[in-house]
Amino acid sequence: MVVAPPEARARPFLPMPVAGLREMARINRMDTTNMFMAAGNGHFGSCFSCAEILTALYFSVLRVDADRPQWPERDRFIMSKGHAAPTLYSALIRRGFMPEAWIDEFESKVGVKLMTHPSRRYQPGVDASAGALGHGLSLGVGMALAGQMDQRNYRVYVLMGDGEIHEGSVWEAAACAAKYGLAQLTAIVDANGYCVDGTLDQVLPMEPLGAKWEAFGWEVTEIDGHDFASLVPALDTPRSGSTGRPRMLIARTVKGRGVSFMEGVRSWHSDVITRQQYDRVMAELGESLP
Amino acid sequence: MRELIATQRARHATKAIREQFGQTMIELAESNPELVAITADLMYATGMAGFGARFPERLINVGIAEQNMTGIAAGMASCGKLPVVCGYAAFTSLRALEQAKVDCAYNEVKVILAGLSAGVSYGVGGPTHQTYEDVAIMRAIPNMTVVVPSDAIEVDQALKACVQRPQPAPIFLRLGRGPEFLFNDAAGPYQIGKARKLRDGRDLCIVANGSMVFEALLACDALAHCSVQCSVLNIHTVKPIDREAILAEAASVKAMLVVEEHNVIGGLGAAVLEVLEAHRGCPVERIGIRDLYPPIGPTFELRASLGLDAENIARRALALLEWTGEPRTRVGSGRLRSVGTSEFGESE
Repeated sequence: MVVAPPEARARPFLPMPVAGLREMARINRMDTTNMFMAAGNGHFGSCFSCAEILTALYFSVLRVDADRPQWPERDRFIMSKGHAAPTLYSALIRRGFMPEAWIDEFESKVGVKLMTHPSRRYQPGVDASAGALGHGLSLGVGMALAGQMDQRNYRVYVLMGDGEIHEGSVWEAAACAAKYGLAQLTAIVDANGYCVDGTLDQVLPMEPLGAKWEAFGWEVTEIDGHDFASLVPALDTPRSGSTGRPRMLIARTVKGRGVSFMEGVRSWHSDVITRQQYDRVMAELGESLP
Repeated sequence: MRELIATQRARHATKAIREQFGQTMIELAESNPELVAITADLMYATGMAGFGARFPERLINVGIAEQNMTGIAAGMASCGKLPVVCGYAAFTSLRALEQAKVDCAYNEVKVILAGLSAGVSYGVGGPTHQTYEDVAIMRAIPNMTVVVPSDAIEVDQALKACVQRPQPAPIFLRLGRGPEFLFNDAAGPYQIGKARKLRDGRDLCIVANGSMVFEALLACDALAHCSVQCSVLNIHTVKPIDREAILAEAASVKAMLVVEEHNVIGGLGAAVLEVLEAHRGCPVERIGIRDLYPPIGPTFELRASLGLDAENIARRALALLEWTGEPRTRVGSGRLRSVGTSEFGESE
């Protein structure tokens, strides 16, 4: 098995420079691939499209402490597109919340800690169990409302898929966040253009994304979701107990990003991986991303 | 017997359930700074207008969006708040069911899901606004507690007990709507998960919760005039159910009659049968809504038309006792019997 280089396993200093973030994103994809190899299959496309988003959050933006996973003043992160949980697991493992040994146990037997979707029950550092889509934004609104009521300055981040926002409950939460002026809430849409059965344009078109969220009262920024120079400043919002518009980051991404034979291929939303494919993924990830 | 029941009924005052709910919420909010109320445009309908006037910053009104309401409650609970979702049972248990399961129960957060207008308490509202399935659904969710108070006094006691309950788990508090007869002892002990034995007798045990406890008591007192001695067990907590109380009653009576304002599929009666399945010997009969959409009508008349009243309980109790006089070979654990009807599909 290919493992991350030792210097990356040490708890990193934060915030991390862009070069370090690129390396962590590479490690994130390798960890994810190792988890899926242990399981025999996985949501490659969905994980690889958000590897930079998770890396930017956990290595340059979020105020969290592995020694105190339940620290009340921590920033909250909700992996609402729960099927991309391995990207979150990797970030939490590399930040020291969970042991590295859990990677090889991923989905391998009854009672393991890491599974397809994140669970607050079994995984330190996970703020909300998720998997059923369309739940995370409401949870995030609740967390931000509690912070606003008590004038605490933690921030709340919710990552959704662009297919996930088909769910009507997302738009209930969108309207509500605007009503309460939750400036401490940032939602990110990982806009890779695909849901399970095809492209969003084929299954259920959601564009124009920016105009929709703006119409719901959000402050919208569109960025390249693989570019740390854009991601970090867009995510690192001011800590403020005051009210204002909630923030929407539409991160334009590529499904399966980083592996040539997965990029933009529908079937890699979730698929089995052979030994040969695994070796090829690791070889490609072994080289720097373009 | 009819006159006897009517006379007894007339001796009791009534109080609206939602009025009591709103009053207790205000009282609890005074002493619990973390308590917040969340509603989906049902502030007035759930008796929460007074709360909203007194604590405007602690009443979150999300508009007509129950899924978001329940998700927000879970998010707030995970950040130290004590949210009480104030909605109709129909929407809280069905429209936002996945949020109740995933966001609240699986996520292990304490949210009180107060579901008003449950059963046929909104008799003229029709099936969209009534619930016959909520207890069955909610009690099938792991880590969910299900509490069904029987009058305004018990609403007050139950809501206070829910707030004090330390477990990181949601509670479905199934509530009625309008006036219900008052009969509980306000000074009596109340504990979630602990049934209340309201009458003692060795012939038959009438098990009930919610609005049916009062009817069970009226039936019990009327039956006493026919020299039939019934015990009455108020199982206000359907989950976790008081197994000891049920088993103790089953061991001391000839039969049990379970009465509930809910579908006979999956409700209190089913929960009692589950307790008794490994303890043979006590036949159980259920009175409830027999897997149908009831006709429309004012609540008390509608209940009576469904057999959910003291007269029918007493009549069925007598029939059940007469049947138990037959050879014991016909008596099996939890065996359903019919009194001239099929199990489902028609009222008697």
